[in-house]
Amino acid sequence: MMCIRMLQRLCVAIFLMFAITGGAAAADRPKEGVEADASTRQVAITSSFTGTEILVFGTVENSVQPSPEAGTYDIIVVVEGMPSPVVVREKSRVAGIWINTSSLPFASVPSYYAIASTRPIDEIADRALLDANQIGFDHVHMAHARDVDVDAATVQSFKDALIRLKEAQGVYVRRDFGVTFIGRSLFRATISLPPNVPVGPLTARVYLFKEGKLLGQYQSRVMLQREGIERFIHNFAISQPLAYGIVTVLLAAAAGLTAAFAFRKPA
Amino acid sequence: MTLYLPIAEMSVSVITFLALGGTVGFLSGLFGVGGGFLLAPLLTFLGIPPGVAVATSTSHVVASSVSGAMTHHRRGNVDVKLGLVMLAGGLVGTYLGVNFVRILTARGLFELTVSLTYVIFLGTVGTLILFEGINASRKPRAPGGSSLRKPGQHSWIERLPFKMRFPRSKLYTSAVPPVVIGMFVGFMSAIMGIGGGFVMIPALIYLLRVPTGLVIGTSLFQIVFVSATATVLHAVENKSVDIVLAVILIAGGVLGAQFGTMAGEKLRGEHLRVLLGMLILLVAARMAFDLAVRPGDLYSLALLPGAP
Repeated sequence: MMCIRMLQRLCVAIFLMFAITGGAAAADRPKEGVEADASTRQVAITSSFTGTEILVFGTVENSVQPSPEAGTYDIIVVVEGMPSPVVVREKSRVAGIWINTSSLPFASVPSYYAIASTRPIDEIADRALLDANQIGFDHVHMAHARDVDVDAATVQSFKDALIRLKEAQGVYVRRDFGVTFIGRSLFRATISLPPNVPVGPLTARVYLFKEGKLLGQYQSRVMLQREGIERFIHNFAISQPLAYGIVTVLLAAAAGLTAAFAFRKPA
Repeated sequence: MTLYLPIAEMSVSVITFLALGGTVGFLSGLFGVGGGFLLAPLLTFLGIPPGVAVATSTSHVVASSVSGAMTHHRRGNVDVKLGLVMLAGGLVGTYLGVNFVRILTARGLFELTVSLTYVIFLGTVGTLILFEGINASRKPRAPGGSSLRKPGQHSWIERLPFKMRFPRSKLYTSAVPPVVIGMFVGFMSAIMGIGGGFVMIPALIYLLRVPTGLVIGTSLFQIVFVSATATVLHAVENKSVDIVLAVILIAGGVLGAQFGTMAGEKLRGEHLRVLLGMLILLVAARMAFDLAVRPGDLYSLALLPGAP
């Protein structure tokens, strides 16, 4: 009997020990986080620039994902340009011709906004969370000028037009399945910069989600600047516009005279 | 081969724009016009922002008119005094025009204004040239070869003050009409990216009664300086002159112009005028069509001034 009781106690002790250590393991299990970077920190706009691609890659720290395809985590990569003021104009027909009749200025909208994710962002997180972190075209803060008296529906239609036009220009890019896991924790996404990408610093942000909750984010900068002759000409045109204009005229005049001289009929 | 344009901030095909410059140059050599009226709309059509298209066209006009102006000057076909008086008005008109462009751009009305001006202006001029050409080619060629009518009397012009003597043109007339004509052409040049020869030539002949031999030379003299001024002012006020685009267009343009001139010598003047009239009307019709047809997207996007 003693033997059995002792055995029972031992079992309980072992069970408790397992329970305690097991519980402690769950509580102590390191939190998941994200680390990421962009393949290029510096993109040069030269005279041969025709757009480029940057690779954003990163890893989920302490991943519990059993395989790349498991879909335990969701990643959203956002690459954003400097905010700039824009005006959206709407045409309507006046006396038979189409004229810009109404407009809505926006004080600050991203000049460039590329978003890639493991699946459509509205499946990843709810509206409030996306709004709070300004993830996605519809959730980015786009402030319209305050002194304009317009109703919410009109603002929305102008905002929709703004997003649509920016998408058509190729400077707002969305790729719903643009982020792929290539290991249990390693992921990558390519972000394309079109030839008309607005020149200026870019911010790359990577968000890690699990079951609709934001577990971590990581931020990095990509410089996008004119280099070489492109930089020289642009600076010249902006800082010395008078000299720039005169040089253009002299070049034009010289070209005209040279051609006339070269093709002059023998007298 | 593509090249990134520093001011237009886009990547373009060099071949396309060389060919465009060459075609416009060929036509301008063929018809003896600056070609700005074709270049600015075609550039816009190829996706160059309208402001850049107009400003860069003016530099192309400098290249295409400078050699003609030099040739006429060497042959003594330029009334320099009259040219300078018109230029005084021209510079004022250009300055006003360039600032007008800036104001219109800020209000989103620039494209509309350019289109309307083109439709009205080119529609009128094109119709006049076309009918004049048709009438002239119907009639047997006059022995003198000139189809230009003798100008009538303009008593109201003769009553204007500030009389000046223009010995080269053998004129004693008020300085007001040349200054006003110069100003009008300068203004048009700045907002349309054109030289304005097809306004100035009739005005010199019919309003000022300048001898026909001096008309083209004097007009070109004025155009070179007005379009040069317009280019510089656009660069200063609107920062919209793209030197890389200008060089591509001019390279194609000056070569095209030489071949155009050769081809033009083989055609009769009246036929050339009929063709030119049709070409101008075609551009006007295309612009009118764009204004009248419902655009694909009613909304459009523009950067606000002061944007980085």
